[in-house]
Amino acid sequence: MSLRIEDLPQADLFGPGNASCRGCGAAIAGRQAMKALGSRTIVTIPASCMATLSGSNQKTAWQVPFYHTLFEIAPAVSSGIRAGLEAQGIKEVQVVSWAGDAGSADIGFQSLSGAAERNEDMIHVCYDNEMYMNTGGQMGSQTPLYAATSNTTLGKPTKKKNMLAIMEAHGIGYVASASIAYPLDLISKVRKAAAREGFSYIHILAPCYRGWNIPGDQTVEFARRAVECGLWELFEVEDGKRTRNYEPSFISVADYLLPQGRFKHITKEQVDSVQESVNRHYGRGRSEG
Amino acid sequence: MSTTLLTGSEAAALGAKLAKIEVLAYYPITPAFPAMERLNKFIEDGELRARFVRVECDHSALAAALGASLVGCRTFTVTNSQGLLYMTEVAYHVAGLRQPIVMAVANRALSAPHSRFPEQGDAISQGASGWIQLFCENNQEVLDNTLQAFKIAEKCHLPVMVNYEGYIQSHTLEEVTIPEQEQVDPFLPLVRRATLDVENPQAVNTVASPEFYQDYKYRQNEGMDLALQVIDQVAAEYAQGFGRNWSGLIETYRMDEAEQAIVAMGSMISEARVVVDALREQGKKVGLVKVRAWRPFPFQKLRDILEGVSLVTVLDKNIVFGLGGALATEVKSALYGFNETRINSYVLGLGGRDTRAEELTQVLNLSESMTEPQNTFEWFGM
Repeated sequence: MSLRIEDLPQADLFGPGNASCRGCGAAIAGRQAMKALGSRTIVTIPASCMATLSGSNQKTAWQVPFYHTLFEIAPAVSSGIRAGLEAQGIKEVQVVSWAGDAGSADIGFQSLSGAAERNEDMIHVCYDNEMYMNTGGQMGSQTPLYAATSNTTLGKPTKKKNMLAIMEAHGIGYVASASIAYPLDLISKVRKAAAREGFSYIHILAPCYRGWNIPGDQTVEFARRAVECGLWELFEVEDGKRTRNYEPSFISVADYLLPQGRFKHITKEQVDSVQESVNRHYGRGRSEG
Repeated sequence: MSTTLLTGSEAAALGAKLAKIEVLAYYPITPAFPAMERLNKFIEDGELRARFVRVECDHSALAAALGASLVGCRTFTVTNSQGLLYMTEVAYHVAGLRQPIVMAVANRALSAPHSRFPEQGDAISQGASGWIQLFCENNQEVLDNTLQAFKIAEKCHLPVMVNYEGYIQSHTLEEVTIPEQEQVDPFLPLVRRATLDVENPQAVNTVASPEFYQDYKYRQNEGMDLALQVIDQVAAEYAQGFGRNWSGLIETYRMDEAEQAIVAMGSMISEARVVVDALREQGKKVGLVKVRAWRPFPFQKLRDILEGVSLVTVLDKNIVFGLGGALATEVKSALYGFNETRINSYVLGLGGRDTRAEELTQVLNLSESMTEPQNTFEWFGM
């Protein structure tokens, strides 16, 4: 039976009082994930918007133990936390490292790959806003092709690194993509990861309206369009079995890209090439491949 | 208690085993690796009930140790040279979070040029990191200091490095007396202090504004001030329980009526004892000051000990470029404005160059013959 909104716990273990911008995709992702994880969870978050918006001085938006780690170490710290809990015989605690795209795919990649290879009993969540927003929006490996950032104002010349494929290649038990626009799918996936032993990786597309240069009340809408146009596929790989969790309606990628300020300089040929890559991936329309 | 032959690596591993560490994390490096492998063997043989986190790099090793420490476990790591430099970012962080992690460091020269050999430059590079640093003169002290380190760390809420030199100590067999577990347990009772606890949620390392940050740093330094007392107390308690007295922050050797003093740390101390004995035989009033704790630096104690000494020769197996030997710099700053003692500073033994009694005697002769008071440093052994 699929999950229903009314089945979710009322309590918010992350959220009230957080210092995010209104319309912050990261904060939405955190609130949704905590509906699945529950109060016996230890969260580590490296340098990122999520870490800074989580609390300052003597205030915090977390109702569970939360540790703001150094930039590149959250999965390693979480590995140590799990070892420490096991050493003391403390059971039934979710250990989660929660990092942005930099803390997962770039500066944090070594410790993430290490923890995944060791199959540590933990969940790593990458909340992906496709640029380094905590330092003002520079490009990173998760920035998509052609997107303008504060240090690639003419658009990024290279593709987004496929983290889901890379994490799948680690041979871990559970890999899933998710989107803040599909909360029940997201929460189901976090629940699934939490119920498993070993390492799970969940990659959440969580738009940043400032970085994407869209209106603040359109964060969820653009997260939805990313899925509906086919650029952000919702799927999971459970013990090697790949399942697409949602069939998109295939709106045109132009409807996703063109309203975003970060793509305002994009050419028609570039939009067409993005559309072509989506078509190829889903086996739709005429393919040049 | 039993006496046997142990390398420094084995002594460090045995110290951690007797301390009943609960979590171990390290990344292999030379010459620290035999201590690591010994600990894994203890775990495999069921002699040590500890979890081992097999991380992918030194940086993650200290990060994993930190995670375990934050949930309240007694935690140990081992490294040296490049591994220590790679850990540096986490080392400062561990000290700021006041976590009592103990780290054995098999001191080795830093690259470039590449060297596998002993030197204290790796530890010296961490002088501002907030770690308490103990230096060991022999393998017995490696074992004894490892045990004391856990007690000091847990009392001061600060991490401790136990330094012993690569090869000279890490790979050399010496007689070591091993305490019984029944002696160690009452000396090192485990007081669990979990910072990350699902029963008592707390936020750790939230962003500190200017209204808070400096106060955190003030309190962190108070931990170092506390360590000045605790290191002495723990050494005294250890002497009482185990019969071996290493003194606390500083140990003196034949300083009675001394007109000259050698000040040094680490393995050179054993050689310097031989030199002092020989010079005393010749009627020279020479003594030895062994700095056991380099952080916190025992300024007051050093002043008291060196009062009335006319010539101090400081031996540094490290170089701080553009400044000189690190120990000499501290000694000068300790004595500045307090007395007229002449302080001669020598940098020697880098990257494994010999520092036997023979060399140390030559250094002392040079120091004695230096007519002008000098405030720079000299290279020895070029």
